[in-house]
Amino acid sequence: MVNELNTPEQRYMYRIRNLPLTLIHPPKGLVPLELGKLWRYRDLLYLFVWRDIKVRYKQTFVGTAWALLQPLIACLVLTLFFGKLARISSGEVPYPIFAYTALVPWTYFVNALTHSSNSLIFNSTIITRVYFPRLIIPISAVATGLLDFAIALLILFGLMVFYGIIPTLAVLTLPFFMLMSLATALGFGLWLAVLNVEYRDIKFILPFLTQIWLFATPVAYPSNLVPEKWRIVYGLNPMAGVVDGFRWAILGTNPPHMPLLIASITVVTILLIGGLFFFRYKEDTFADVV
Amino acid sequence: MGNIAIRTVNLGKLFYLNQKKRGKLRETLEEKIRLSLKHLFTALSPDAKKNEKKHLFVNKHIWALKNVSFEVKHGEAVGILGHNGAGKSVLLKILSQVTKPTEGYAEIHGRVGAMLEVGTGFHPELTGRENIYLSGAILGMTRREIKTKFDEIVEFSEIGDLLDMPIKYYSSGMQGRLAFAVAVHLEPEILLIDEVLAIEDISFKQKCLSKLKEIVREGRTVLFVSHNMDSLKTLCNRAILLERGKIVFDGDIKKAISKYLSGNPDAKL
Repeated sequence: MVNELNTPEQRYMYRIRNLPLTLIHPPKGLVPLELGKLWRYRDLLYLFVWRDIKVRYKQTFVGTAWALLQPLIACLVLTLFFGKLARISSGEVPYPIFAYTALVPWTYFVNALTHSSNSLIFNSTIITRVYFPRLIIPISAVATGLLDFAIALLILFGLMVFYGIIPTLAVLTLPFFMLMSLATALGFGLWLAVLNVEYRDIKFILPFLTQIWLFATPVAYPSNLVPEKWRIVYGLNPMAGVVDGFRWAILGTNPPHMPLLIASITVVTILLIGGLFFFRYKEDTFADVV
Repeated sequence: MGNIAIRTVNLGKLFYLNQKKRGKLRETLEEKIRLSLKHLFTALSPDAKKNEKKHLFVNKHIWALKNVSFEVKHGEAVGILGHNGAGKSVLLKILSQVTKPTEGYAEIHGRVGAMLEVGTGFHPELTGRENIYLSGAILGMTRREIKTKFDEIVEFSEIGDLLDMPIKYYSSGMQGRLAFAVAVHLEPEILLIDEVLAIEDISFKQKCLSKLKEIVREGRTVLFVSHNMDSLKTLCNRAILLERGKIVFDGDIKKAISKYLSGNPDAKL
């Protein structure tokens, strides 16, 4: 069979025998997610991620070091103002590592959310000219940040050695909380990316939103500062669940408050599934509107 | 062969001109609130409500395509003619699934490859080599397919030593050559080509034309939009003439061209 397919003509004759049929019709409301199609386009997903990683630090002075500097500088600032000045209690762990542990998923989340929200606009020339499942774009945007995430995580392990923190069995849940921060970024990112196509207001709301969001997330302070009866409401911010889980997994301190965590997981699940359907529903209009 | 490759039935595409959908969030919200208030007041008489809704769409839209029906058989090369804004590009965008039709439907038997604009997906910071992979994947090739054709693509593009330089240092002619080289190495059964021969370099243009001829000879189906009558005549023997979104002629290429030119004396012969 392989010998037969050497020339373009032979390859063509081989393929014409089993031609796929495509039907093109007007958009009709809610459409299936067709996640299987994403698998067929995995090469493109891979290349988008690879492109964004390659391009991201081009023409920057310190290059990939930005992946380290972002959480480290934020950690320094938090330690100075919240740890030293405001004297926020970080329990039995030193404040710097307490803050840094939270900053690893938080920095990833903010970057992934920002990139995915702007992803459709950044790729508008491709969207208006070539067909492929558009979901690939925001998914590749949140996947790109995983490299920075991994780098920041390595530094975290270094800090753990420095502070002499020995991980407990809880560290096994780390992949789950990593996945959850990805799901949160994608869940919100899908909605914002679609809205951004029609309303560029999103671009302006975003930096402002993430700033406020930081205060609603237990990054600079522990979540047990929030009164117990309010924690389930607090957990409606999925990043609260992610950060609490992350801290527990790495530092082995008190496990996350269950109602809070369950609220977070529920919100993420609903947002992500809703976002996927919303995205697919709006997908057909991107090329006309963007 | 001789089977249907593309069939369109009453394809139509409506565009809104009022830009309401592109506007700012506040305007849309205001519009929505205003309308829902209006609806609230007219809710008692359902007829009035219907009229109100109808009125909204009047005078604010344009049919970029309307009642477009045609069939193309496997192995045919069909030119698409028409003045600017006649709907040629919209038609190709619908057939390549970039945008959806408003009404009607189309059937496509086979994989579709589209060259709607040369260089789609090129990134200026990446090298020629990297961009071949990127744009190949965007146009629908797998990495494996690109790898097997890589040398052919590089040879066709004639970029030589510049392969590992970021393409932002390329001249625009070189970028065009590289982009075209990737695009002609697609192997779908159906190719949609839109104005890609707007290349200035004459010898490279000849090379592209002969490559396209080869593609037609292989028995693949080609829809070809161009304003260049010579290229159209060499590639196709049938043409569809569009005018304001409607088919006004479908048949022999020479007749189509003379009909097209009679409406536009300025076009190049």
